[in-house]
Amino acid sequence: MPATPGLSWIGRLLQATSAGRVVAVTLLVVLLTFLSVYPLSMLLYGSLHSTPPGMAGTFNLNGYLQVLTLQSAATLLNTVGISLAKTIPSLVLAVLLAWILARTDTPVRGTLEALITLPFFIPPILTAMAWGMLGNPQVGLLNQLYQWATGSNTAPINVYSYGGVVWHMMQYSVPFLFLLIVDAFRAMDQSLEEAARMCGASRLRTFCTVTLQLMLPALTGAAILSFIRGIENFESPLFFGTPAGIRVITTDIYDSINQRSPPEYQYATAISFVIMALLFLIVLLQWRILRGRSFQTVTGKGYSPTVMKLGKWRWATFAFCLLFFFVTVVLPVGQLLIGSFFKFFGFYQRDMLTLEHYRAVFGSSDFWRGFNNTMLLGFVGATLTMLLGGAVAYISVRTKWRGRRLIDAMAWLPWMMPGIVLGVGFLWGFALLPHAIPIYGTIWALLLAYISLGTPLSVRVMSSAYAQLSFDLEECSRVHGGTWLQTMGRIVIALAWPSFAVGWVLLFFGIMRELSASVLLYSVGSEVLSVVLLKLWANGNAEQVSVIGLIMMGMVILFRWVQLKVIKSRINAL
Amino acid sequence: MLVKPGIVRAALIACLAAFIMPAHAEDAAWQAVVTAAKKEGKVVVYNMTLGAPYFKEVLKSFETKYGISVESLDLRASELAERIRTEQAAGRYLGDAEMISSTMIEEQLKNGDFIQKLPPIPNIANLRPPFSADEYSVPAFVQPMGILINTRLVKDEDVPKSWDDLTDPKWKGKILSDDMRPLGSGNAMFSILQKNMDADFNMKLAEQKPVFSRDMRNDARRVARGEYPIYIPQIFAFASDLKGLPVKIVIPREGAPYARMDLAVLKNAPHPNAARLFIQHFLGVDAQLIYANAWMLPVAAGAAERADPEAQPFVNAKLIGPATLSDRPSMMGLAKKLYP
Repeated sequence: MPATPGLSWIGRLLQATSAGRVVAVTLLVVLLTFLSVYPLSMLLYGSLHSTPPGMAGTFNLNGYLQVLTLQSAATLLNTVGISLAKTIPSLVLAVLLAWILARTDTPVRGTLEALITLPFFIPPILTAMAWGMLGNPQVGLLNQLYQWATGSNTAPINVYSYGGVVWHMMQYSVPFLFLLIVDAFRAMDQSLEEAARMCGASRLRTFCTVTLQLMLPALTGAAILSFIRGIENFESPLFFGTPAGIRVITTDIYDSINQRSPPEYQYATAISFVIMALLFLIVLLQWRILRGRSFQTVTGKGYSPTVMKLGKWRWATFAFCLLFFFVTVVLPVGQLLIGSFFKFFGFYQRDMLTLEHYRAVFGSSDFWRGFNNTMLLGFVGATLTMLLGGAVAYISVRTKWRGRRLIDAMAWLPWMMPGIVLGVGFLWGFALLPHAIPIYGTIWALLLAYISLGTPLSVRVMSSAYAQLSFDLEECSRVHGGTWLQTMGRIVIALAWPSFAVGWVLLFFGIMRELSASVLLYSVGSEVLSVVLLKLWANGNAEQVSVIGLIMMGMVILFRWVQLKVIKSRINAL
Repeated sequence: MLVKPGIVRAALIACLAAFIMPAHAEDAAWQAVVTAAKKEGKVVVYNMTLGAPYFKEVLKSFETKYGISVESLDLRASELAERIRTEQAAGRYLGDAEMISSTMIEEQLKNGDFIQKLPPIPNIANLRPPFSADEYSVPAFVQPMGILINTRLVKDEDVPKSWDDLTDPKWKGKILSDDMRPLGSGNAMFSILQKNMDADFNMKLAEQKPVFSRDMRNDARRVARGEYPIYIPQIFAFASDLKGLPVKIVIPREGAPYARMDLAVLKNAPHPNAARLFIQHFLGVDAQLIYANAWMLPVAAGAAERADPEAQPFVNAKLIGPATLSDRPSMMGLAKKLYP
């Protein structure tokens, strides 16, 4: 195998010398320090100082003392409860869907796989509006259908409740978890399951004792990501929890920054650090669970891409997927799609039919500027973030280099800080840099923030993928004369790339939706799509926001279709 | 005694000159500002309108009239205030003018040195009562709030005419409201009504168990769809684009609580003359008319009269308020007590 001449020195440096490894780890530490630790240090200052950076004040612990109240404890418990209530059923559903679509012969599973993930990519404000129209107790469509069918006067569905908050969060967490774990299911070596079956284990027992056990890194990593996202979820409790008097930490933080006079940054940052400390304990727990165990399923032995034959049960799994698709996609997205052709949502009269919203969006220079900036930031940001995450995950999972735990921990940090607060950290951090460093007020500020925000996800996705690869594969390549770079390119990257692609799509659309940091860092000319959406929403153009949401969904379908086509062709080629 | 005609003529000329010269001097001074503004070439306006079409129209008219480009940075109120604070703390003077709520300006003056004293601007003389500029800021426009009703659910005879009518038991559980506890329109209405209505008004309103929400734009549509018959407080301007839906704004007889938006020049503005010219333009009748036609209350004289007929009830609405910064802590505390 000929080495790539221009880059082979990197491989030699990393492979041959401990100095090279030190340089690599140091570079990553410096990069992650700037991207994660620096903005967090600004926030730590804010939590310990009576005023935000740049204002005269005193150091004290008042912010933390404010957190130590019964009210805050109750709100925290409520938040944890809601997040658990959505993560557990979401995980069960996601595992079931991933197993059905990746490991069984369920009909049209390829199409279903692309379709059931759609809700994840729609701005939450839109699905909140759609579910508000479907499930309000007064005139909600679902309640009216129930009353029409049963003749009853009762309204069994009320989305403005705990159930509504959890349900709306699940709209996002099921596809998110599904996307994170489906490729781990696909990469499973079926011979392990077959061995269990040969030894007399039932299908269920095989699933629980072999399949699920081997999925532990992917499942625990994804579940923790989802649980943390649940703690930090803002839109669902704001829209569906406020009318029911449900308080969570994020609405508390939002209020303390945006709805107090003057803003209470000290409290907001202090409570965020308390949450971060608690969430870090969960990550430590995951490290403890996974430590010393092997989860390698992709080995040098023959790889069998065949799926489980379910017989007539495949129609039951098909019906289950179809039902899930109907409830989570067709109902809310159908509302948005229909509504986008009428002057006002929910007023579906012939005289209100219009294409005006489409004309307004496609004819808007603001939209196109935001779209172009977001495309640029999405492509560059997602690619760089996945490369960074891939490097961190590789060192963390597949080497014994000193410092690997440190960079893994540093990469987790931004995920544990609520987005509303982290956005402020970026604002403070970038604005207070020396003026000679041209980041603040430029598109670079957005790019760096997106890389920081996305790194935890990219590391987790790539860590799960690397954990499945047997070390034999790399050793085999080297024994046969492959250089470090060739081994990386042809073995490690080649086998982990489906996960890379999934992570890339998640990050790309994450960048499209990110608002908390974007709104504080954008400048004139560098507007992004999420800011355009915010402006449209704030000006009462919900229908135009829907049009943009549908465009985003169209892009998702295209991306996922291409991705799944390529995966299929690669698997067939193996 | 006869006076020579030459002397009379000279005296007349002197008197006229005394009247005219200062005006000419003022004109010349202002012309110098306009020239300097054009030389500066652009103005950066920080604002919380989030790209509202009427604001964009004013910007466009300014650009067309003076050939000066406007860079508009739109943020939500708290984000705008924090961005200005952070930029100035870091010595980054990027913005020229700001358009923000009057209470936010009060807060900026209380907490730091973010805005500069207002330079002379001719159109300030054109403000209509009760509006006036102070040392640091000048009113830009007013956002009054009323009651939104669903015309299919509220019979003509039941339409509330007073804020007190909302305390009628028949509306119990049927009022959708912007959350009155945190800062925002709901709390502004709560504070203003606490000061202007009977002392127990808010207590009686709380007994009606209004349902809180936090999405004003969607809430008006929820009322239109029939989820609730009544929504409070409805910003007039936010209902101007709901034409065709079964909703109507009621201006209670006691008056409409309001929030006032002010204009100010930021400290060390890089384009100070363009900022002055922009404020001058905003206070002009044409710009104010754009706001009046969007159902907001103009602060300058001469615009309300020229507003569209359907905007007339709103541009001359009786006002009560505004909420003040000093009242906030006690009002937020009271709202939390009444709505635990």
